Amino acid sequence: MEFPAALFPSYFTAGPPREEGGPAPVAGWGEHGQVLEAGPGRLQAQPAFVPRRGATGERWEAAEAAAVPVLLPSAGCWIPSPAPQDILYRSGLCRKLRAGKSGATLDFAKQLGHFFVDHPEDAFGSLGRLLHKNFYLGNAKLKRPARNSTIRMTALVKDIDRLEARRGCPRQHLASRLRWFSHLCRDWLFEVPLGLLADCLHEELAQQWSNLLFDDSLTGGALAWLPPEDGETPVGRLVYPGGQAMNHLYFQDVVLEELPHARGSPAEFELSGRIRQVAAARVDGQDFVGVRSDYHCGVWRVPGKTGAVPAPLQVIRTDVPASCLTVSPHLPGELSVCTQSGTVYLWSVETGLQQLRHDPQTMFFRDHSPWRWSDFTAHPRVLSCADRTGLQCLDARAPKRCHFDLFKVGEEAGCQQGERVVLPMYLGRAHPSQYLVTTQFSMYVLDERLPLVPVLKWAHMMKAPPLFAHLMPGKPGRSHKVLLGASRTQELLLLQYRDSFWGVSSGGSQSACQLVGTPQKLHSITGCLQHLPTQLPHHHHLLQQRLSAPAAGLAATLQEDGPRKSMLIFQLSEAGDVFCQRLIHKAAQLPAPPSRDEATTAPRSSPLFEAPASSPHGLGTAALRYRRWLRALSRAWREPPWHTWPPSLSQRRLFTRRDLEGPAGPSSLQKQVRQRLCQTMQE
Amino acid sequence: SSNEHKLNFKKSKEACLSYIQDALLQKQWKRAAEFLTCYVESLEKDYSREHIGPSEMIWRIGTEILWHHSQNRMKEFNCFMEQMKTLGVKRYLKVCLEHVFHLLCNGQIDEAYQNLSLAESWRFGEQTAIQDKEIKLIQAYRGLLDYCSWSKQKKILLEHGEDGFADLAVEQEMHGYFRKAAVNLKEIIKIPGVWDIFVKCYVDLLEFYGEHNEARQVLNEYAYNSKFPANPNAHVYLYQFLKRQGESKKSLISVLKILHDIVPSHELMIDFNTMLQKSKKRKKRQLGLEVIFAALDYAAWKENAKAWSCLARQVKQIVISEKHLDWIKQGWNSRKDWWPDFHFSHYLAKRNWQENKNLSYEKALVAGILLGKDCKYFKYVSHQGCKARLKRFRMLKKFVTRHNLVYLRIFG
Repeated sequence: MEFPAALFPSYFTAGPPREEGGPAPVAGWGEHGQVLEAGPGRLQAQPAFVPRRGATGERWEAAEAAAVPVLLPSAGCWIPSPAPQDILYRSGLCRKLRAGKSGATLDFAKQLGHFFVDHPEDAFGSLGRLLHKNFYLGNAKLKRPARNSTIRMTALVKDIDRLEARRGCPRQHLASRLRWFSHLCRDWLFEVPLGLLADCLHEELAQQWSNLLFDDSLTGGALAWLPPEDGETPVGRLVYPGGQAMNHLYFQDVVLEELPHARGSPAEFELSGRIRQVAAARVDGQDFVGVRSDYHCGVWRVPGKTGAVPAPLQVIRTDVPASCLTVSPHLPGELSVCTQSGTVYLWSVETGLQQLRHDPQTMFFRDHSPWRWSDFTAHPRVLSCADRTGLQCLDARAPKRCHFDLFKVGEEAGCQQGERVVLPMYLGRAHPSQYLVTTQFSMYVLDERLPLVPVLKWAHMMKAPPLFAHLMPGKPGRSHKVLLGASRTQELLLLQYRDSFWGVSSGGSQSACQLVGTPQKLHSITGCLQHLPTQLPHHHHLLQQRLSAPAAGLAATLQEDGPRKSMLIFQLSEAGDVFCQRLIHKAAQLPAPPSRDEATTAPRSSPLFEAPASSPHGLGTAALRYRRWLRALSRAWREPPWHTWPPSLSQRRLFTRRDLEGPAGPSSLQKQVRQRLCQTMQE
Repeated sequence: SSNEHKLNFKKSKEACLSYIQDALLQKQWKRAAEFLTCYVESLEKDYSREHIGPSEMIWRIGTEILWHHSQNRMKEFNCFMEQMKTLGVKRYLKVCLEHVFHLLCNGQIDEAYQNLSLAESWRFGEQTAIQDKEIKLIQAYRGLLDYCSWSKQKKILLEHGEDGFADLAVEQEMHGYFRKAAVNLKEIIKIPGVWDIFVKCYVDLLEFYGEHNEARQVLNEYAYNSKFPANPNAHVYLYQFLKRQGESKKSLISVLKILHDIVPSHELMIDFNTMLQKSKKRKKRQLGLEVIFAALDYAAWKENAKAWSCLARQVKQIVISEKHLDWIKQGWNSRKDWWPDFHFSHYLAKRNWQENKNLSYEKALVAGILLGKDCKYFKYVSHQGCKARLKRFRMLKKFVTRHNLVYLRIFG
């Protein structure tokens, strides 16, 4: 690939970012950025100019009004992740105290209380057994001889209840009896010393809270699409995690038709940890699939022929959680692994692990995040290493000596203050020396032949940082497509860029990178809720909870069937659901009359469940697909009755049955309130 | 209370903005425009101290909508832009630049030039660092347009010149453009940055008027000033200039050597290799081999038949002369553990044979020499070649078998 004959003009300054920034909701609109004189224009009387952003791109339109499930929901229920209301302290006083201050207050006392209630054996086991004769649980007054050695607990409980009622009152006085009791037994009553237990719990809570704000363990996504070999039947493979703890790996054959559907049953592997990332690359006609969980990474080989059985090749174990696993697009059986401690390995199935770097510090300035990433570059022996502050490339043959800076959060790339790297990705399939770097504010395309200066920069305006990205390379002369996906908000954005703008027909010279077309928002999983038939209220609630689970992965494929081109986009949610949507390419045409343009794209009505005139069966395939999915889901809800959730799975999880039961049925308090409401209404 | 009112106002403003954003991301330009007319109200009560204020938002959103929805009615667009320029003093230059970009992309060069001239003469209080940068860019783009007019005049002059009739007025006008362009272009390329088109135009001007020394100085500065980014094009321009000037091989080689050090995968490495191979000095020929080995390390070069033939030719020469076998050994040592999988797998042998016989011939020759006659790649290709009764491949097989002893001597 030739280097562009001329690049777009830009200033170059070194140093830390100067521009004060923050999330800017519309920063990506209305700007051409720069212009460049296009080559062949010189031959004409007038020079022709092309913009860095804003040239016309391809037109892609959604085929359906919403994303459609590809697979039936797995049996066994899904346990939703903790929500902010589970771990945050909420009361009027707290809100007042916090007004003007940022930061959240963790409801530490509630969680500790849950622990005591749910795990009494672990909390007070031995002393409880020793002392149970000395605690009286009845209401009657204690007689003289017994009173010497026994306490009446009901009085104490009453005091506690009273205290609860006055919670948040600034002038609350502790009941003397309670103070006396806690003073007396704080040091010996607990199985685990209270201080230690509290420390652990607080640490766990803080961890859960920071995961809720931003969970970077999902970076890269846990969904992969293995496309069919050229010229073969249109059967590809989806690789995704499933099962209650997301610790089962599935390889499912999928037939690409109007709507893709599964064929046969999937190959299944049970792993010993929750699957965080699935990465895949094709080398010499074979797919290599890397799977990352916190402490284990594994690699599978999938032969190119359809129906071939995936073979596990090797597994490695790490002492600290791994944060990245990428598969080499150059050499079979090579991967790169990063761990949170800042170690980068080149992992070859044949020769084992080679440590390339070990540095707990971040590269360009200090940042507390332990997240590290690594990927391959145009040179099979040169790997990129990233942390939140930037990217460096190192040569695996001499990692200490040979390295250069590829991207720095700084003035060089025109970054904002507080900007951090979220996901780097090698764009080798589109252009062998280009790289994508996303931050919470912008996306950058870099060329490793001109390090530090982005060849493309655009503010993506997404509400949550893009943790997933997928590249669909375009044929020569056509645009490359990049999908960016966020986890918590399920956002999906389609972008197009081009790296040769005066086309193959007029010489096909390489030219500077351009962002073309407008960015396009795609359907999110939760968006289908408005199109579904009316549900019973509690079913609606459960469905809503399930559909709005954070996204966990992203994959896509381009399908060219003669003149008809379409794009299939798969999205995985944390609940294990895989949804799919199809975009159809509209051939270049004059700007369509706006009325039609908006009628087709605006999802105001719900055409999903209306019978299209063309379909002989009444309902469209998408609607049928939904019917089946909903039926299977409600069966799954019924089987292990949905009001008795199984106990929490994770040892680390402190959220108890009571929390999860929340939406299932009204509590006694709610019943009382409802009765009272009814009474007042009758009166 | 007024506080609550403020809060509600802020809330409804945010809601409105999110509707607009939603519409824009779904290409519903008309809907977005309708919401934008409501959003304009927010200008009146702007309490925000955000990074991007409402006036900038209106400029950005409005521009985006008009790009897509005004059916290219430039008059409407220009009118909107003029309004936006007066909306925020700090952003005046930025909006001007963007306006000019849009005019340029729509082929309205004269209007763009007028706008640039107007923007250049704009003054308001003290300039910030960003405004200083923007005004320099505005001047540079004006210089670029002056250059375009200059080259148009040059074309006219050259055409007339052929008729043997020199037009003094045209020549004078042309010189005027030259001066205006040169002054502005000269300024921007002093500041660190990527200024490929500006440098190219400036050098073209200087060369035309015979100021070769200054042109050389400009190009040297652009390529070797450490404050500038490591831009491969800077070296390419210098190399092309020196070549046009008919400079010695030695100075060309030294420019390409530096380019090789920063971008070993640059397409000029083929020229560099050819130049080095022709050299009489041993060191240079050895460097030539290193250069072509290094280029073929990159994924982009995998199927470059020209590069493979360069390597094949040089390796063949060495093997026949049996001199400097250690050069091959040196190049091969750091590659022997991954080149076989990267270049010489059975899969690639099959594919290369199907897609490009020439490429597979050159690669098979290299594979046969580096990996011996039992290598998968060589075996497959020579077998296929012999089966297809291609003379070239039969010769290849003979050559490799004859020199297999050499292979054993180097690597055995």
